[in-house]
Amino acid sequence: MKNFQKFPIYLFATLAMGFASCESEDPVPENDGELITDVTLTLQELDESGSPVGTPFSATASDPEGIEVGATPTIETVTVKKGKTYRMDITVTNSIAGEDITAEILEEADEHQFFFLGGAFSSNILTIAYDDPSGELLGLRTELGVSSSPGTNNTQMQVILRHALNKSYPGATNPNFQDYAQAGGETDLDITFPVVIEN
Amino acid sequence: MGTSLFCHLSPFATLFQNFWECQREQSIFATVFHKVSSFLLGFLFFAGSQLAIAQTCDLVLRGKILHLENDDAIEAAYVWILETRTGAVSDQNGNFVIRELCPGTYTVTVQYLGHKEIRQTVNLSGNSTAQTFRMEEESLDLGSVEVHGHREAVQTTTAITSLYGDEMLQSRGESLGESLKRVAGVTTFSTGNTISKPVIHGMHSNRIMILNNGIRLEGQQWGAEHAPEIDPFLADEITVIKGAETVRFGPEAMGGVILVNPPALPTNKASQTDIHLLGATNGGMGNLSASYLGGSGKIKGLGYRVQGSIKRAGNVKSPDYYQANTGMSEYNLSGSAGYSSEKLGIEAYYSYFNTEIGILKDAHTGNLSDLIDIIENGRPFTDAEFSYAIENPKQKVSHHLAKLKSHYHLNPNWKLNFQYGFQLNNRQEFDKRRGELNTKPSLDLELFTNTVDFFLDHNLKQNWSGSFGLNIIQQANSNVPGTGVTPLIPNYDLFNGGIYAMEKYLKGPLELEAGLRYDFRTVDAARYVDEELQQSNLEYKNFSAFVGGLYQLSPYFAFTSNIGTAWRPPNVNELFSQGLHHGAAAVEIGDPTMVSEKSIKWVNGLEYESDRAVVELTAYANRISNYIYLNPTGETYVSLRGTFNVYEYLQADAFFYGFDLSGSYNFTDRASAYLKGSIIRAKNTDEDSYFPFIPSDRMDWGVSYSLGKKGNLDSDKITISNVLVASQKREPDFDLAPAPPGYALFNIGYLKKIQLAKNQFNIGLQVNNLFNTEYKEYMNRFRYFTADMGRNILLKLNYQF
Repeated sequence: MKNFQKFPIYLFATLAMGFASCESEDPVPENDGELITDVTLTLQELDESGSPVGTPFSATASDPEGIEVGATPTIETVTVKKGKTYRMDITVTNSIAGEDITAEILEEADEHQFFFLGGAFSSNILTIAYDDPSGELLGLRTELGVSSSPGTNNTQMQVILRHALNKSYPGATNPNFQDYAQAGGETDLDITFPVVIEN
Repeated sequence: MGTSLFCHLSPFATLFQNFWECQREQSIFATVFHKVSSFLLGFLFFAGSQLAIAQTCDLVLRGKILHLENDDAIEAAYVWILETRTGAVSDQNGNFVIRELCPGTYTVTVQYLGHKEIRQTVNLSGNSTAQTFRMEEESLDLGSVEVHGHREAVQTTTAITSLYGDEMLQSRGESLGESLKRVAGVTTFSTGNTISKPVIHGMHSNRIMILNNGIRLEGQQWGAEHAPEIDPFLADEITVIKGAETVRFGPEAMGGVILVNPPALPTNKASQTDIHLLGATNGGMGNLSASYLGGSGKIKGLGYRVQGSIKRAGNVKSPDYYQANTGMSEYNLSGSAGYSSEKLGIEAYYSYFNTEIGILKDAHTGNLSDLIDIIENGRPFTDAEFSYAIENPKQKVSHHLAKLKSHYHLNPNWKLNFQYGFQLNNRQEFDKRRGELNTKPSLDLELFTNTVDFFLDHNLKQNWSGSFGLNIIQQANSNVPGTGVTPLIPNYDLFNGGIYAMEKYLKGPLELEAGLRYDFRTVDAARYVDEELQQSNLEYKNFSAFVGGLYQLSPYFAFTSNIGTAWRPPNVNELFSQGLHHGAAAVEIGDPTMVSEKSIKWVNGLEYESDRAVVELTAYANRISNYIYLNPTGETYVSLRGTFNVYEYLQADAFFYGFDLSGSYNFTDRASAYLKGSIIRAKNTDEDSYFPFIPSDRMDWGVSYSLGKKGNLDSDKITISNVLVASQKREPDFDLAPAPPGYALFNIGYLKKIQLAKNQFNIGLQVNNLFNTEYKEYMNRFRYFTADMGRNILLKLNYQF
């Protein structure tokens, strides 16, 4: 019975321990690691032999606050010339955390893929082909062709980045694959760039 | 194919098919309720005729049941009169009453677990008789003692239902939420086929309370995809209270309370092992549980129990495809030790719950257009294969609960109780992410909870009993840094203090009770949003009260009525949510200015019990002011990721009402039937619209046939049952997809109990969704993405020695 006389002491010790652990931690600001704030399309004109001509130019879509409640993204216009061919490189960054997400996409090339949709392709104004140096169908580098008779001076190009998709799904080798959703996965980026076609 | 198969099976099935598809929901339920009402009328008639015979018989047998060795009262002993087939269960003072007996000589048996049965002849004449029975203990041996009596874990005048015995045995292997579907009026709110939350009368999450061995379970219950952190195997009994029980249990017990109780510890030398081994074809589920209950022979009054279970399952199969990444693993432990002497009782209890659950891969959508695509498709885009692998998105949850409880009998009338509970809940949610982030949780919460209960029970002169108490809840919630995601809910400290008093008056067939409680709560929350520290200190206080009564109208009929108020302070997510809820492709916005929800719930129950039939009808109405709900704003947010729907938390007045019916009837000694059904209506009375995710009308009925030998008929039993669920026609103004159509499922079960000397071996074979019917349940959040589980064949083995 001696143990039971000490019981209140044990009880008190247990309670003291319990309550001591019961203060919440001070909050710590989190860097939203997965956030994408800037997507830049860099276009380099190519000649018939595939060599670069002139200086590259770019169009950026940016959303400095990311997904949080706030401003809608600003999207620059892509200006291309009739009948020309371009090499298009996509860079993806998180400017808040200062991270280059392009490298991460490249590292997980087997789980990612860009698709290019919108009026630019459905009306045959632009044509696009995967041209990634690694040979993987990824879309970080593509070859973009402009029709010599587009019939209009402006159109739209929707750039979609899919993550965790089945890349061997029938049809998924086509960069203009409309039914990309059927290959599974989820959308990481969905941006529609205005396109202006100059003579 | 499922439906077409069963419609060609027999004329009966065809009839059913017509019944289901050609008639509208209204008429189905009209028919059902026509049948039910004639069923009830039949009972009333039957009971009336019984009453007529009983008119001249107004003698009463009263008595007390005590322990032979110390004259302590025995609670929950079962007294049975063989000739009249009537009986009673002793109350906490050991008292029992059997009414409406005719003069004559009767054989009375008294049974109590672990005690020798008493069989005595009692002569009733002229006046009512009082008799004291003293029971002698024997070594605990569950195998040889069949427990007939059952007493509810809580004495309340509210509608109450328990799962135990055979029904509990049949529910083994299911989650807590799934098991509780066996109770009329309880449904589940689920996220796929592995996460399910119990719903009582249309309310779930923070509007109901779950008690693990007397301690209120404190996890992250606010989330729709956060299942209760409890192992159903630790319980030998699960009780559902369907009333507002805020006074007794504290704030938030607005819709009801679920008590998960392990068996009582033995106080004498005892040894009992219970092993369950289960397997299921769907998901390749395997489940093992073992428990050992022991009583010390050396130290009288010392008993202990250890229990553990493991569960592993792979991808769930819908009739036509596997659901990708829907495996789960779970391991749980619990143990308790207790000592009780004449005056003092001490019990220590610990339970640990650990689970890892895969979330359907296709349910994780990137933006609104993804979500619309998959909803249109109606099923996952990719065909998965069977696998046990659990990948992202997934949840990892662990929960520790420790409890210390003691009571001390100050004198025969007053008992002092103390209870302390400590809980640590850790919840990690992993999303499909890029690079190193994929190995880091995107939600990582650590929740500490301390609860202290201090209360004084009394029993005065048989008629009055009650309890006064003090209850403290202290809670600290922290986001574990390093998730790389702005936390959905802030860090916070919560303190809740409550005092209460309840009193019950018992006289003859009448039982009256009332209670009052006052609570005070503070919440201090802090977090960073865009590098900016946001803090808020909130305070809530409230009175709650209830009054209820039970009246034994006749030996067969009892009527209960209970009206109680309840309140629930807004939860942290409702106050502070601000951001993207990934799975739902939605931006959710909280409102820090919200006030507490207040409700008043009135529950009426009518019970009929005879030797052939049991019927329970429960009707309730629940009026809630400032009911908090998530409302689509109709706006969208545009980002580089795409477009998202915006939802905001709003408050409106709500009115919930409905009926639950459950009944069973024994046609012969061998054949019986049962029926359970529930109807719930929930309206937003401010907007005159309906709330989302309210269970549709449903019923479950079945027939059983016992094949056992004479004297032990139920040792071999086959049950065929049918679940009918109507489509939810009362939909909110906005939903991502319309409510799925109604469905009918058939199940078949076989239970065989084999007595091996003093040991018991039980074999159960169940086939759920016999015809592999493809269906979608309105209350499953993943109905947008996939059909529910297809056919599942389960084998359940149980050995008790």
